[in-house]
Amino acid sequence: MKILIIEDDSALRSELSVLLKNAGYDPVCAEMTEIPAQMINSGADLILLDINLPGTNGETLLQDFRKRSTTPVIMLTSRTSELDEVLSMSYGADDFVTKPYNPTILLLRISAVLKRSAKTGTAQTYHDAEVSTVRGSLTRGGNEQILTKNEMIIFQLLLDRIGEIVTRDELMTALWDNDEFVNDNALSVNISRLRAKLGELGFPDAIVTRKKQGYVLI
Amino acid sequence: MRPAVFLRDRLPRYLILAVASALVLIFLFTFHVPAECVVIVSVLALIGAVITELWEFFRRRSFYDKLSSDLEQLDRKYLLPEMLEEPEFLDGRILCTAVQEADKSMHEQISAAHRENSDFREYIEMWVHEIKLPVAGLQLMCHNDGNTRYAEQLRRIDEYIENVLFYARSGSAEKDYIIKPVTLKRVFSDIAVRNREELQERCISLRTEGLDTEVLTDAKWLSFILGQLMNNSIKYEADEIAVTAEVLPDRTVLHFRDNGIGIPAADLPNIFEKSFTGENGRTHGGSTGMGLFIVKKLCGRLGHAVSAASVQGEYTDISVTFGKNELYKPE
Repeated sequence: MKILIIEDDSALRSELSVLLKNAGYDPVCAEMTEIPAQMINSGADLILLDINLPGTNGETLLQDFRKRSTTPVIMLTSRTSELDEVLSMSYGADDFVTKPYNPTILLLRISAVLKRSAKTGTAQTYHDAEVSTVRGSLTRGGNEQILTKNEMIIFQLLLDRIGEIVTRDELMTALWDNDEFVNDNALSVNISRLRAKLGELGFPDAIVTRKKQGYVLI
Repeated sequence: MRPAVFLRDRLPRYLILAVASALVLIFLFTFHVPAECVVIVSVLALIGAVITELWEFFRRRSFYDKLSSDLEQLDRKYLLPEMLEEPEFLDGRILCTAVQEADKSMHEQISAAHRENSDFREYIEMWVHEIKLPVAGLQLMCHNDGNTRYAEQLRRIDEYIENVLFYARSGSAEKDYIIKPVTLKRVFSDIAVRNREELQERCISLRTEGLDTEVLTDAKWLSFILGQLMNNSIKYEADEIAVTAEVLPDRTVLHFRDNGIGIPAADLPNIFEKSFTGENGRTHGGSTGMGLFIVKKLCGRLGHAVSAASVQGEYTDISVTFGKNELYKPE
């Protein structure tokens, strides 16, 4: 997934790019000239756009860009102002994140926006099991396991990054971001319940624990 | 202006006139002017004097009485010069000119102070946005290097920066907020996620109830307000925070309750005052007495009521009341 970063602060730009690279994305940093052309021609799947740019303004850029493209855009700003957010959203931003941002949350937002824009009508699957977020269930060959909201959030995050390590911190942030203010113990309990349900479906060792790192769904 | 006051004020003049008249009478008698003539002259002079004094009295009274009643009715007394009508008599005109000059000079002074104040505020806003860039940079660096040691300190820096920003906003005359329907849940979970590490480290549990409801407010301002309340709960040793919304026909009340050390009854009436730290501030340190003061000011500007209830050693409950006034609602 290619992500175009439009940010004039060079330190922030390079750190953002490292963050995205570590998270498995393909970040490209825009030059501070001819930004509109770069936005159109970059072929990015998502654009991170700063509001305060030298000589121009992210909101204006977004407004013009929206006339020509529907590529998702996340606005970044250091201004804590509802006016900026309302303006940005009305100009067609997909999300709005204020600096300084919690990096984990930023990544969650990015993946949420990408998922929304992918619009894959096809149901998600895990191996040969069908994942239904609407029903909150996993189905494999007539065997249906109902997941709780927490279990679904955890499973979704693991599934989105299948084969990669997902840290407890990331899982925790995702749960809290969904208004599930669980503690460490509750997370462990949720994981072991999820394991049991996956076991029922015939995937007994689907979630692997990596000591001091996190979990991997295989 | 009462006649007695006027007469008393004119007393020296009457005394001089009386002495002068006595001298005139002595003079007239020495020259053997006929008594009838003296009487007629005296009566005419007296009539003249009385008419003059009545005229003086009434024109002054109409000016000064209006002045006093204007002054009494004005709730902003400094607007008096705007209401002044210039009288015909000399000292009144001098007074008017002097007052108007003073007024003009005061206006210049005030607008200079206003300008300075808003320049300063603009600078603070700009500074806050600038300082956030290195903070954001550091936060990303910490994350990218897998270093969590500095994260907490960075969070504190960010918090203090926000305090400055909102303090500047709370006192400004500009309307830099937007009232629109906001889901309490959205604002609260934002705050919760931001404070997650610290809450978990201290084993503080969160309980929410009824937050699916919408209130009319500015989301960013409310987020700051709830952030302040959460900081206080963390600071004052809560291990459970319960946030509940109560929807009433004409208002929604948000209760932010924790089971921390509570507030001494003697301090409770003052907690929203500027720089008030009280007993908890002394025993716990790190209190500037600004947090709740800013909260109160912001609530005031947004039109929310805020109040506190507490029992020392048991709980603290801060409630914010959101109106449902139709006037608030955007179209």
